[in-house]
Amino acid sequence: MGESSDEPSARRRTLLRSLAAGSTLASAGCLGRLRAATGWEAAAPVSLEIKSLPADADPYALRVARSAARWFRAAGLEVSVTPLAREPLYRQVLLRNDFDAFVAPLPASAHSGDGLYALLHSRFGSEPGWQNPFGYANLDVDDRLERQRTTDDATRREALAAVQRSVARTQPFSVVGFPDEIRAAGRGRFSGWHRTDFGSPLGYLGLDRPAGSGVALGTSTEPEGTDETTLRLVTTDRRPTGNLNPLAVEFRRTGVLTGLLYDPLGYETGSGDVEPWLAEGWEFVTAGAGPRARVRLRPEAVWHDGEPLTAADVAFTYALLADVTLGRDGERADASSDGDGTAAGGDGSSDGTATSDRSTDRSAGDGASADGATPVTAPRFRGRSSLVSGARAVDRRTVEIDFADCTPSVATRAFTVPVLPEHVWRERSGPASVGGVDVGSATEVLVTNNVPPVGSGPFAFQRNVPGDRLVLERFDEHFLAVDPPAGLPGGVGEFPPFDRIDVAVVGSDDTAVSMVTGGDADVTDTPVGADTIPRIGRARDVDLVVDRSATPYVVGYNTRRPPLTNPRFRNTLGHLIDQAWLAAEVFAGYARPAVSPLAGTGLVPDDLRWDEEDPVTPFIGSNGTVDAEAARSVFREAGYGYEGETLVERG
Amino acid sequence: MSLVSVLSQVAAVVVALHLLGLATVVGPRGLAAVPRRVRSNLRTVAPTLGVLVVVLAVNGVVRDVGVELSWLIGINITGAIHVLEGRFVVWIQSLASPLLTGYFSAVYVFGYAFLLTFPVVAYLSCDDARPLRTLLVAYAVNYALGLVCYVLFVSYGPRNFMPELVDSLLYTHWPQAQLLTGRVNRNTNVFPSLHTSLSVTVALVAYRYREIYPRWLLPASALSASIVVSTMYLGIHWATDVVAGALLAVLAVAVAEVVADERDPARTGRLGVAGGVRDAFSRLRK
Repeated sequence: MGESSDEPSARRRTLLRSLAAGSTLASAGCLGRLRAATGWEAAAPVSLEIKSLPADADPYALRVARSAARWFRAAGLEVSVTPLAREPLYRQVLLRNDFDAFVAPLPASAHSGDGLYALLHSRFGSEPGWQNPFGYANLDVDDRLERQRTTDDATRREALAAVQRSVARTQPFSVVGFPDEIRAAGRGRFSGWHRTDFGSPLGYLGLDRPAGSGVALGTSTEPEGTDETTLRLVTTDRRPTGNLNPLAVEFRRTGVLTGLLYDPLGYETGSGDVEPWLAEGWEFVTAGAGPRARVRLRPEAVWHDGEPLTAADVAFTYALLADVTLGRDGERADASSDGDGTAAGGDGSSDGTATSDRSTDRSAGDGASADGATPVTAPRFRGRSSLVSGARAVDRRTVEIDFADCTPSVATRAFTVPVLPEHVWRERSGPASVGGVDVGSATEVLVTNNVPPVGSGPFAFQRNVPGDRLVLERFDEHFLAVDPPAGLPGGVGEFPPFDRIDVAVVGSDDTAVSMVTGGDADVTDTPVGADTIPRIGRARDVDLVVDRSATPYVVGYNTRRPPLTNPRFRNTLGHLIDQAWLAAEVFAGYARPAVSPLAGTGLVPDDLRWDEEDPVTPFIGSNGTVDAEAARSVFREAGYGYEGETLVERG
Repeated sequence: MSLVSVLSQVAAVVVALHLLGLATVVGPRGLAAVPRRVRSNLRTVAPTLGVLVVVLAVNGVVRDVGVELSWLIGINITGAIHVLEGRFVVWIQSLASPLLTGYFSAVYVFGYAFLLTFPVVAYLSCDDARPLRTLLVAYAVNYALGLVCYVLFVSYGPRNFMPELVDSLLYTHWPQAQLLTGRVNRNTNVFPSLHTSLSVTVALVAYRYREIYPRWLLPASALSASIVVSTMYLGIHWATDVVAGALLAVLAVAVAEVVADERDPARTGRLGVAGGVRDAFSRLRK
């Protein structure tokens, strides 16, 4: 925190002054008084730094941060706001936990009942990534998060309701609201924008050609000499042009682009169910503590480099997510020889089985492995990978997955992680090095930019220009291209009507929209700010596409740092955020204020529904202006004092 | 592609302005002797030109690396600048009108490209190699020190820091311009303003050598001043960036003067850098 640097020196000065006084008076009584006085530290002002994204990267985050800063200042806190680009922000907040508070949207994975498990369970407090970046620890919440994994229906709903009530009161983060995602989409070349889920790779895969214009598609706007069709996305997020590592949390937004490159076993649909994708199907049996699933892969699956995709790759993926070192200490040599065996062995089902079995056994303990080395978990997909206790390849197309204590419907969430090729990733489990020097506990798995990526998805990497461009091309051996099966999730019927995806990076929302209205791009991949709506509305042949986002903006607090360790302090900060005003002014009405991060899932109890105002932490003040006097008295009741107008706490 | 169309627009306008400039500033009599002078001047300033080319090339390569590096070691001074100057840029934007926005946008993109390139052409065509060398050295110093600052300081401009108060006027009125400016600048590189420092550099050099091109001084100063204001008017830079940019320009021109003098075969007495800088300042004042 800001005050920590000058505080000790002030203390030292005070102490020296008292010592000087002590020496002149030099009597036992005075020393006694001095000793009694040193227990009483001077009160220090409470200061807070809010980190957020600049306007070019996010249309709302910084304005939310500055509004919150204004309200906190009105209550006497010293507040500064620091804008950071996406990657440094997420590196500092999610990987290093180096923050007091931040403003950003939560990841979409948190927007489900079990999503809260990773977001808030105290066991993840020291892990990097979107798993409990707040360092929140509440034993009651932990219990209920575990209970919702093992129960169904009313019991589960009650457990989740209790979690939401605790979270609303203790405020590890203050929910601001769910924004509308606004996009500009060209009407001429593709249709189906309005039913597209831009948060899932299935969204772009479900696009159609516009009715009756099939022939004209490949004429004017395509590169000369080809009759191929390109889906041209424009984004303000430059990260995927330089990094395509699906496990690098600081580089991923929705994971849609890496999702097009890496197939998961199944996709979550709008109803919340998981339906088979790379898997042909699965069945559950109960075995021991938790359920066990037998997953059957689709036939003839291959990686983009031509290697066959087998059950061993699936088992390997879960082992890698549980421990990116694959149990580095002790067995490196074995591991690499196993890897060679699997990669080389065309018939290698036995090879693959042995390999994965061993690596997953090690992860099964999930905390302390047999040889005492601490596993390093992957920073993404943590909630889902924590459901899996082990995975084995039974034969080339069948993998058996054991789950921790949970219901099958929760367990299927684990099928939505991207499947990674063992022959590429096994050798990345070694320590990462920069210029030949090993750095920290990071392994190459976490550090690699994974360019070019080898996936198994419907689109394969073609080329990239870091900071500028990313081009993906149709993968002809994908099941969608070879023989599209019926009944795929998300209404995907056949290969989408484009052979290439061209992602162009621009500097701001305005420029992104002008690329679409000018016919140089088909859609803004990143949502744009509400202030671009007139520009979209004026343009001919451009659709304004508005979707309710699944990711609420939050003001997240680092509960490891005083005074944010104090739930009452955080609760009072929650009272100082005027969600209704933010929704109206900052989001220009294109947001719905909310109390619970699960708003919109049907899991929110009635007493946590937004009803004109926040039912748990109503704003102290009105219409965007804090009632400073009332706010101060709340802080005083919470045990804080004021010096003049400045909020102070004893050190 | 839109970038190509933006580039060709800029190129067309700048070429037209150059022709106008050559006709009025250099004049028909000056132009007659141009081929001979250009050859001789190029020979004389070749090493300096080489240095500038190297600095620009390094700048081009390092810019992206520099941004990465500055996130590692740089200090984020956005908040400090805001505390320092408050709402000065907001006040400037309160004077905005469509006409002014059009003018300042044009000045920021077209005017800047012209202001930086025209004196190179003009001084190339004059009798004396010193103005050209001074200018090129000053450019090199600007870019070199600018790059160092960009690594040491991370800072977002007012349009990025207080979007509710400061409009991103250039990019809302002419979004395609960002396709071009995005190639040249990154939005974390606002301290100091290189638009300001290079424009002021041109104006200072124009003043220093006003006897060679008396007709250049007025348009150079006016354009330079307009560009300085435009960086703030368009919400791209803070006043702090502009002040720092102006100081950088003064330093760059002073250093360039010393270098130009030391390299000048006509001057034998060596001054040393400190004396040279003092000397340069006194000559600027005169």
